[in-house]
Amino acid sequence: MIAPKQITLIIDGRRCAGQEGQTILQIAQANGIDIPTLCYLKHLSPWGGCRMCIVEIVGSPKVVPACSTPAKDGEQVNTHSDYLKKLRRHTLELLFSERNHICPFCVMNKGDCELQLQGYRHGIEAIRFPYLYPAWPVDVSGQYLGLDHNRCILCTRCVRTCEEMEGVHALDISHRGGKNHVVVDLGATFGTSDTCTSCGACVAACPTGALFDKAAAFRGKLGACQTVRTTCAECPVGCGLLVYTKENRIVEVFGDFDSPVSRGHLCVRGRYETWAEPRRRILQPMLRRHEELEPATWDEALAAVRQAAKKARPAQKAVLVSPRLNNETVAALKKFGRIGVFVARNEAALCAEGNHSADSMAKLHDADAIIVLGAQPSSAQGVVAAKIRTTVRLRGAKLLVFHTRKSDLDQYADICANVVSLEHKLWDQVADVLRDAKRPVLVYGPEAMTPIGVSVLERLVKIFEAKAAGLAPALIALPTGPNSLALAAGGIEPVEEVGPWLDAKPLKFLHIVASDEPDGGARLLDEKYVRALLEEIDCVVVQAAYQSRLTDLAKVVLPAAIWCERQGTITNFEGRELPLRAVLPPRGEARPDQEILEALLV
Amino acid sequence: MSDKPKIKVATVWLGGCSGCHMSFLDLDERLVELVKLVDITASPITDVKEIPNVDVGIVEGAVCNEENEHVLRTLRSHCKVLVALGDCAITGNIPALRNQFKLEDVVARGFVETESTQIGEIPGNSVVPKLLKKVRPIQEFVKVDAHIPGCPPEADTIWYALTELLAGRKPQWTEKNLCYD
Repeated sequence: MIAPKQITLIIDGRRCAGQEGQTILQIAQANGIDIPTLCYLKHLSPWGGCRMCIVEIVGSPKVVPACSTPAKDGEQVNTHSDYLKKLRRHTLELLFSERNHICPFCVMNKGDCELQLQGYRHGIEAIRFPYLYPAWPVDVSGQYLGLDHNRCILCTRCVRTCEEMEGVHALDISHRGGKNHVVVDLGATFGTSDTCTSCGACVAACPTGALFDKAAAFRGKLGACQTVRTTCAECPVGCGLLVYTKENRIVEVFGDFDSPVSRGHLCVRGRYETWAEPRRRILQPMLRRHEELEPATWDEALAAVRQAAKKARPAQKAVLVSPRLNNETVAALKKFGRIGVFVARNEAALCAEGNHSADSMAKLHDADAIIVLGAQPSSAQGVVAAKIRTTVRLRGAKLLVFHTRKSDLDQYADICANVVSLEHKLWDQVADVLRDAKRPVLVYGPEAMTPIGVSVLERLVKIFEAKAAGLAPALIALPTGPNSLALAAGGIEPVEEVGPWLDAKPLKFLHIVASDEPDGGARLLDEKYVRALLEEIDCVVVQAAYQSRLTDLAKVVLPAAIWCERQGTITNFEGRELPLRAVLPPRGEARPDQEILEALLV
Repeated sequence: MSDKPKIKVATVWLGGCSGCHMSFLDLDERLVELVKLVDITASPITDVKEIPNVDVGIVEGAVCNEENEHVLRTLRSHCKVLVALGDCAITGNIPALRNQFKLEDVVARGFVETESTQIGEIPGNSVVPKLLKKVRPIQEFVKVDAHIPGCPPEADTIWYALTELLAGRKPQWTEKNLCYD
């Protein structure tokens, strides 16, 4: 690759170095010159629509937007002349007059709104144009986010984010002139949209209060909040979270742009489900006395667990844990004797495969062909799905989907086939699609480990072997349990079917560590016979954060801390060890899983 | 008392919540300073209704009805310098929210449909000032010489603006004194 040519600009009388191909704005920013912007975001393609970043180029009769004008060597640029300031003021005054920017009751008032901030910066005390006061609706039909057209400045940051980060293009601009406005799905609402994934990236991108998180609205300005960077532990992708807190509660959760994995993006699970959803917490230890669960102290509860454990012989005791436990619990867990981690079907084999490399996301970004086999990233690993969509839709990669269940990725696929009904002639088409692939990536999930999945894998390997050497696809195993890879690697036995595992050796004591499973671990009961088997056990201890059908079966209930209340590390699907940081102190008497397990060992 | 004639000030309260006048009272001990320099004539604070000829007229609130417009025009013709105090006077602000709806609907909502109203009636009496079709900021009716933005403007902001005006200068607004955070 040829290194880009170095160029020099004179910006506001200062010599500024940059590279050919960079925009005037990029070079100015790199050299510490602040040019006001509204529609520009550095991770999105430039738009040049808001006209705030206009600059003068000496020798040119017109002003140009710095964000979308490539810099030329030797150019002299003025960014803050009186003329430019006057134009920017005019632009702002037009923006303020166009819709109903009534600050006092806006969710972004006092510090979070970029339009308001630009108004302050440009000393706008009053505007000279008559206000239009148009009647625009507010769409609060979405589960987590709302759209207030009254506050929209049509910067299209949301539209570009939806297209370039989430890759679904649920948002766009409709109509012309004064009726120009953001639409969801050609005129649907967020509540009725087929394409919106509720990833909330548009809200994070919105400079005003036009798009907002319903759960965060009017709960405090972000500028006055404390922030903690941590890792989302809802799935094995391990996206970076930027959590805003105030007075020991979460105000809002955004993606962390410094995260090497997710680069600022999140899916609905990390962005909203963990904090914007009501869930019934278990706030104190409970003991079953006279058939009823009654509140108890930690000492009483731990003593009861120890006593029950003592009554059983080692072979009659077991601990069954959630794949959400962090790496630091492994050492304590291994001292407990028989121990299993409950994982999705076929995930044990997937964990044993252990195909991961720290640049899996980068490989997906750069791929020119992506094969998805037996994985459902759209529902299980949203940010991986977003990466696949953007790579396919924006960078032209081929997509081949082999699945057993439909997903939204199917519509973007060159070849989409159900693995249970593959026709022979399909393989010629597959070979054809993959003919020119130079950077193929194979993403495979638990279903790829089934006999039929393995046969597809073998066919694919043959196709690649027939191509030139060295073009084997990068393999990315995509488990569903947030930390099942590391727990399995740490020697904890993956348990796909709890029934047979419980039945293998009759138990008198079972300690279930559901941690902060959103369902409280209740999905274990969905498996046949498990409820009956649990009822036969003398003592079932449930350590969980949320109430569920499982706690109803427990003799002892121990309140566990949730994602934002514990620290440690988890290992993501790329094999990266990522930090979990405590954002808040545990609520009620809840304690982190690691602390509870260690207390039981003493 | 100095021999210098005091500057005469009148303030009016149009369509607003009176928060700007409250914020004016938040000048606290500076009010003592102020009355050494100015005479407050007509004002909701003094409860003097007749507007005499003054040097400075200060307006809180947007123009919502015919009376507001009349008072505004009277003040403009009676003062040398007209100051818009607060966001309602400058932008329409909260009172202007009703501009999104038809006037009949707004009146019906306010007088008849309110949850706490049992038997509601829209006042038809000519004594009650007629509402304008749209709520408007004052600069759409008269020339405004200075603005004091904020909802409400903080006492410090009001003090800065008043002292500048008394010194014969127009207040200069920058990020620092516009942004209240």
